[in-house]
This record gives sequence, structure tokens and C-alpha cells, in this order.
Amino acid sequence: METLDYFLPQVWFFILALFLFLYVILDGFDLGVGILSLTADGDEKRGMLMTSLSNVWDANETWLVLMGGALFGAFPVAYGTILSALYIPILAMVFALSIRAVSFEFRELSQRKWFWNNAFGVASLVAALAQGFALGSVLSGIQVDDAGHFIGGTWDWLNWRSLLAALTLVQGYVLIGSTYLVLKTEGELQDTHYRTAKISAITTLIGALLITITTPIFYQGLREKLFDSGLATLFAIIPLLAVLLIGLLLRSLSAKSENTPFIWTLLLFLLSFIGLGLIVFPYIIPTKITIYQAAAAPSSLVFMLIFVGFLIPIMLFYNIYQYVVFRGKVSGIEYGE
Amino acid sequence: MDFLPDSYVLSRMQFALTALFHMLWPVLTTGMGIYLVVVEILWLKTKNPDYYYHARFWSKLYVLNFGIGVATGIPMEFQFGTNWAPFSEATGDFFGSILGFEASMAFMLEAGFLGIMLFGWERVNPFIHLFATVMVAFGANLSTFWILIANSWMQTPTGGEFIDGHFFVRDYFQAMFNPFMRNSVLHMFFATLETSLFVIGGISAWYVLKGRNEAFFARSFKIVLGCAIAVAPIQIYMGHLSAEQVYHYQPTKLAAMEARWETIPAGEGGDWSLLAIPNDKAERNDFEIVVPQALGLILEFKTKLTEPVQGLKAFAPEDRPHQVGLIYYSFRVMIAIGFFLAALMAVSALQWWRGKFSAEAIGEQKWLMRAWIFSAPLGYIATDSGWIVRCVGRQPWTVYGQIRTIDAASHVPAEVVFSSLLGFVTLYSLLLVTTLYFGTRIISQGPNLTLPLPGNIDLISTEPAQKQPDKRPVEAQQ
Repeated sequence: METLDYFLPQVWFFILALFLFLYVILDGFDLGVGILSLTADGDEKRGMLMTSLSNVWDANETWLVLMGGALFGAFPVAYGTILSALYIPILAMVFALSIRAVSFEFRELSQRKWFWNNAFGVASLVAALAQGFALGSVLSGIQVDDAGHFIGGTWDWLNWRSLLAALTLVQGYVLIGSTYLVLKTEGELQDTHYRTAKISAITTLIGALLITITTPIFYQGLREKLFDSGLATLFAIIPLLAVLLIGLLLRSLSAKSENTPFIWTLLLFLLSFIGLGLIVFPYIIPTKITIYQAAAAPSSLVFMLIFVGFLIPIMLFYNIYQYVVFRGKVSGIEYGE
Repeated sequence: MDFLPDSYVLSRMQFALTALFHMLWPVLTTGMGIYLVVVEILWLKTKNPDYYYHARFWSKLYVLNFGIGVATGIPMEFQFGTNWAPFSEATGDFFGSILGFEASMAFMLEAGFLGIMLFGWERVNPFIHLFATVMVAFGANLSTFWILIANSWMQTPTGGEFIDGHFFVRDYFQAMFNPFMRNSVLHMFFATLETSLFVIGGISAWYVLKGRNEAFFARSFKIVLGCAIAVAPIQIYMGHLSAEQVYHYQPTKLAAMEARWETIPAGEGGDWSLLAIPNDKAERNDFEIVVPQALGLILEFKTKLTEPVQGLKAFAPEDRPHQVGLIYYSFRVMIAIGFFLAALMAVSALQWWRGKFSAEAIGEQKWLMRAWIFSAPLGYIATDSGWIVRCVGRQPWTVYGQIRTIDAASHVPAEVVFSSLLGFVTLYSLLLVTTLYFGTRIISQGPNLTLPLPGNIDLISTEPAQKQPDKRPVEAQQ
């Protein structure tokens, strides 16, 4: 029974990380394309960018809903505490995602395409920033009492560390969005995004390095964990690997290859995620509440695992199937009819 | 900001607004999904292009509704954490799991196949396309299933116990199959179906009345009328069963639904109130018209009640709902609409049986067509009214008898909740206006009957498919 008390929260921590990772890469390129559309010249190009997402954005966004539901069920205290502590960024994200969703529908029907193109771009940027602030403040620590209840202020989430995280996340989304567009477009549009990919690769690297350096200096809790756990060497390897991946990415961009930039970017995101996961684990509210303290009863975790665990491969299968059906370059600016 | 109500009152207003508004969109997509499956099967079976054009035309309205449904659905999930953190913590073991199931089983299924359903006509073979349409409809209805399980558990929490306000699950299946669950799931399932049938029927009637594509829309009109013949009466019966379970399990809600202040002991009959002006302060109705001795007949089909009907005064003021007028009238509006739609269905069925709906004659049924157009929005009103009865009537509890709403809310400053509430009011007003505008435009443009048929339809038969729209009158095509 005791091993189960440890094992089950760990499994759910992993599943949550998986859902969050899938969300960040999949909706990450949606949001990145949205941000990039703000810089595109002309409504026709913007239309192309939106069309490249028309059949996938909804399923991509659903991974966030899934992560929310899984966090709610597996770590109820953390769900309430984190979301109410981050009331403003979460609501900002919710509003932005709503506006992004309707922009897709309304743009298709409207004569004033420019209006919905802009709404789509701005909403994508706001959603990305809000997610960055939320992620940054979770990492920099939410004030809670011993029971894990939020005791901080409404504006705690706004500080330079979460700002750094927000800006870096936007760069990362622009990077993965650019490499996605390299994959999905051709000609002039593709050339543009070879360039944006290069620029954002550099800016992402700068942001990531700043976060890597400042984390052990300013986050006492994380610093102690870093040096006590004996994982210090591992954490030294991750930034080195990241720099290597950025090098490979830049080389593939210079060589004008179409598929590999996206793959290097995915690996870069995966690496960052492993790094973050190792730093955060075993906390769900760093560095106050562990997954073992916040976990729902073992029977709940088992019950959810049976249903959701069984569905994970099925969900992955039909999501991949959808990408296969709609593979290839975007050709026009209209979705269907 | 002293002029603001308490934070928890604002959170409640925000939840009510976002839920009532969100409901309007999936109500149509869940029901219309089934209709799209039906016309697509008819298309594959008969190869009649009209059915293909029906699938394409209605899916334009479908996707518009779906988009708003997604956009307004996301706030629902996150509000549990942002505005109802203590509730999330206390019930997450069960309630959170159910929301997780909804997302992974239903939401993802719908989202994962929607792209193929909308844009995949030429990309996948017809059977895979049909499969995608079935999955979209199935996913939407699974959503109804899980959400109604979660909400029913808030009405009749079983399957575990509350220790210090925290729910510990003992038996998951008992919690899922709580006393309210079956009837609530079915009542909502038929609500989505009935609303969609009357929306599709109403829009079809509008075209018939305008003399546009009469033969084409006579087809959809008859499909939905055929379904309504079964659905409208069943829904009234499901409504009866739902009221009956309130009678057994939620005495405070029943008292508010009936604006009843005094208790009727078991073994006696009671009057059924038809119209009243409830006065919460004076604890009585200022004015009332009643149907004598009808309450027992309505609840149990007999004049004498076997269980007492407790009046509101039997409960302390802090243990009973206070918006009695709202609950009382929402309940009556829902019932009135349910019976009106059933009556309209009956008259229409009679005319159909008398052969008045042939493609040539249907245009003459002007008053009936007007009645159908009038009925198109009624299902939405009835559904939202029903939810007001269900959830305002549950007050002062969030989980009936266990967790009070005042204890379930996060301690977010009132001005912050007020700002987000204001944001929702603004955004949702704009969404409603814009959607009505675009929806009206889709309808006024009408179906595109010149679309090329998907080339791969030939795959499913050795006979060549009809490539040209059939020009014969509808009744002659088979």
C-alpha cells in the first residue's frame, strides 16, 4: 500500500507533464503562428497562416482542457490553489483563447477579414503571454499555508521573473510556429519563416539561458533542491544539449531543409520540459506542496488511470490520423467550400 | 469598493451567466450532430445529392455553433479552480475525475474528428467520413452524459462520505449512478434533441414559407417532424420523472418550484399553483390562482400524496432557496414550452398524415410554417429555464445538503471578480450579436446546390453515382 501511495501520484505527475507537453508543442505552434500573423504583410498571407491551422487548432487546444481536468481530479488542492492564485492571468488566457476560437469561425464568414485576422493575432499573443506569466509564477513560488491554500495577493504573479518566463515562452512559440510554417507552406511565405525561425531560435536561447542562470540564484527552494539532490551534473548537461540542438536547428534552417527544423524544435521543447520536470518534481506547488500531499485518494487515482490511461493511446492515434489526413502544404486561403 | 456585492455572489453570477450562455451552443451541436449522421447515412444509401447538400448546408450552422461552444466552454472548466477553489479541493477526488473523463472521452473525440467531418469529404473514403461524423455526434453526446453525471452528483451526492467537508469516495459507480443521474442524463439528451429538431424544422419552415428550395427543405422538415413525433412526448414524460425525483430527494427545491410555504402532510391532497406572486419576506404568495387538488395528480397520478410536500416555512431561512419567483416561473415556462412543442408536433403530424406536406402542397401550410419558425428559439428558453430551476433551486447548497455555496467560493477580491464578470458580459454580448448576424447570413444565402459531389462516392458502389442534382420533384425521387 505504501509503495502505491508514492507510485500513483508519480504516474499522474508524469501524465500531467505529458498532457502539458503535448499542449505546449501543439497549441504552441498554433499560438506561434498567431503571433507571427501580426507581422505578416497583407490579409492574404494572414489568411494562409490561419488556414494552416483550421483543422487542427481545436484538437490541439483540447489538450489544455484535458490537463485541467486531470489536474482537478488527481491533485484537487493544487487545481484550486494555483488557478485562484493566478486568477488574472488564467482569466486573461481564457478570454484570449475564446476570442481566438471565434476568430476562426467569424473570419470564414466575414467580409472584413482584416478585423478577425487581427483579433486572432492579438488573442494568440495575449494567450501566450498569460501562459508564460502563469508558468513563471508557479515556478517562482505561490504563497500558501501548510494546507496548501493560497494566502498571497491578487497581483503576486506579476514580477520580473514571471515576465522573463512569459517573454521566453512567446519566443519559443514563435520558434515552433515558424518551423511549423516552414513545413506547411512554400515559396515566399516559407522564406519569411526560415528567417523568423532563425531569429526566434536565438532569442529563445537567450531567454532560456537567463532562466537557467537566474533560477539557482534567486529561487532558494529550487537551489537547495538542485544541489542536495546530486542532480547538479545532470542539470549541467541539459543546457549544453540545448545549445547543441540550437546549433543543429540553425544549420538545418540554413540548409533550407523543410522537416528537420520542426523536429529539432520539438526535441528542444522536450529537453526543456525534462529539465523543468526534474526541477519541479516532486512538487506540484513548488516548493511548498508535494504531489504526495496534494494527491487525491489512491482509489481515485486508480479509477482515473483506468479510464484516462486506456484512452491516451486512442487519443494519440486519432490525433495522429488527423495530421496524416491533412498532411501536405497549405494551398489556398479558404478552408473547405 | 463597498457598492459591490460579496465576492461569492459575484462568482455565482459569473458562473450562472457563463453556464446559461455556454449551454445555448452545445444544445444545438449535440442534437444536430445526430441529424447530420442521419442525412449522411441517407446520402450513402440513396446517393441522392439532396442529402449530401443537406449535410453540407447544416454543417455550416453546426460549425458556427461548435466554435462558440468551444470558446464559451473553456471558461466553465477553469472557473472551478479560479472561483471555486474550496469546492474543487473538497470534491476533486470525484468531481475532477469526471471532468477529466469528459475531456478525454468526449471533448477530444469531437475535436479530433471535426476536421475530417468538415474538410475531409475529398480526403478520406465515404465510410471513414461517416465514421468521423458519427464520432463527432457521439463525442458531443458523451459530453452531455459526463456533465450530467457531475451535476447530478451535486444534487444527490452518494457513493462516499463527507468528512470535515471533504468528499471521500467509497464506491465510484454508486457516485456516478447517483439517484438523479439516469433521468437527468435522459432529460438533457432529449432537450438537446428536441431543441435541435425545432431549430432545423423552424429554419426549413422559413424557406418553405419564402418559397425558396421548397422541395429541398420539405425533406429536412419531414425528417425532423418524424423524430419529433417520438421525442416531444418522451421529453414531457422525462420532465415528469425529473420532477418526481425532486419530490423524493430535494424538498426545498420542490417547495420553491411550487411557491409552497405551508406543508401538506402525507395522505392529503394539495392544490397546484398556476400563477402566483411569491413574497419571500412575508413568507406567502401575495396573489395565487390554483387548480384544486391537482398536485397529487401531477406528482403521483393520484389525488392523495403518499409523501408529505414540505413547505418553505418548514426550513430555516438559511437552509432554503430565496429566489422563489425565479424558480417558480422558470419551471412553468419550461413546462409551457414542452407542451406547446408537443401540440405543434401533433397538429403537424396530422397534416402530414393527411398528405398536406407534399412538395407542391407544403407551401400552402402558411400558419403551420409560421408556428414552426416561432418555435425555433423555444427549446433554448426551455433548456435554460430548466437549468435555472435545477441549480438556483439547489441553493443555498452547491452540493445539496453538504457544501454551502458561500463556503465553496474562492477568496478572490470582489473587484477582481467584478472585472472578469464585466468582461464576460461584454464578450458574450458581442458573441451573441455577431453569431446571430452570421447565422442569419448563412440562412439567407441558403444551400449551395452546385457544389461538386465528392469524387470518391463511386468507391462504395458498382453503380455510377448521380453527378447532377435530381431535378424531379422530391416526392418522385427515391
